[in-house]
Amino acid sequence: MAVKIESKSGLTVCHVDGEIDINSSPGIKKTFDSLISKKTPKIIINLSKVTYVDSSGLATLVEILKNMRTYGGRLRLTNLSSKIKSLFEITKLEKLFEILADEEEAISTFV
Amino acid sequence: MLRLDLSAFLRNREGRKKKVLIKIPSDIKFIRKVSSKILKSLIPYNVDADKVFDIKLCAEEAIRNAIVHGNRSDKKLVVKVTYWVEWDNMNIEIEDEGKGFDRRLIPDPTVGDNIMKGSGRGVYLIKKLMDGMKFNKAGNKIRLVKHLK
Repeated sequence: MAVKIESKSGLTVCHVDGEIDINSSPGIKKTFDSLISKKTPKIIINLSKVTYVDSSGLATLVEILKNMRTYGGRLRLTNLSSKIKSLFEITKLEKLFEILADEEEAISTFV
Repeated sequence: MLRLDLSAFLRNREGRKKKVLIKIPSDIKFIRKVSSKILKSLIPYNVDADKVFDIKLCAEEAIRNAIVHGNRSDKKLVVKVTYWVEWDNMNIEIEDEGKGFDRRLIPDPTVGDNIMKGSGRGVYLIKKLMDGMKFNKAGNKIRLVKHLK
């Protein structure tokens, strides 16, 4: 698992590569804790290279969202595979997260 | 005219009720090793990718629950995983040495404030993604069933 962080149009875009599961979740949380400690206002997580998410991974994403909300930060998820998107639908997390089709749309509509 | 599907015959003859038992210590580092073996056993069945994803996810969730909640991550305690294919159904049984639990007490993770909680989605996902899920009376053994076709 790897997380690549870049700035695009004044936003923080994170590309996660690999699986978000019980093994990788602590590392992912640590990476985002660092962004959250700086009160990064707008984060996009591009999941195009994520092939697998388990309940620990979903919990990690919920934690990131909750922590960002404490300071008014906003989080968007993009480029979910149909299977991973279905996990968000089944667990009703799609109502909690801003999920967009792709990074370009997430950037252009992030106001 | 009766046509004999030789590959299906051989597959069923060899795969049916041929159970594989794996015993692991209660350490999450063994979860992936077991799920990899389960998925490898599916190769002859040409299972579609979404079903493979579901089986991997649910097996790993159930094994993790057995390790973390059942055996409280006590490495002296063992988790037994048995899997077999029977009539194009993948069967996986996971048993821990814990006291078990009453699954009726698991809150629905999709309702109210539960949606914001950091845990409690494992059994819910299993219930939604498997074709069958059954606990024994004590609650320390779960059986998962997934249709492969």
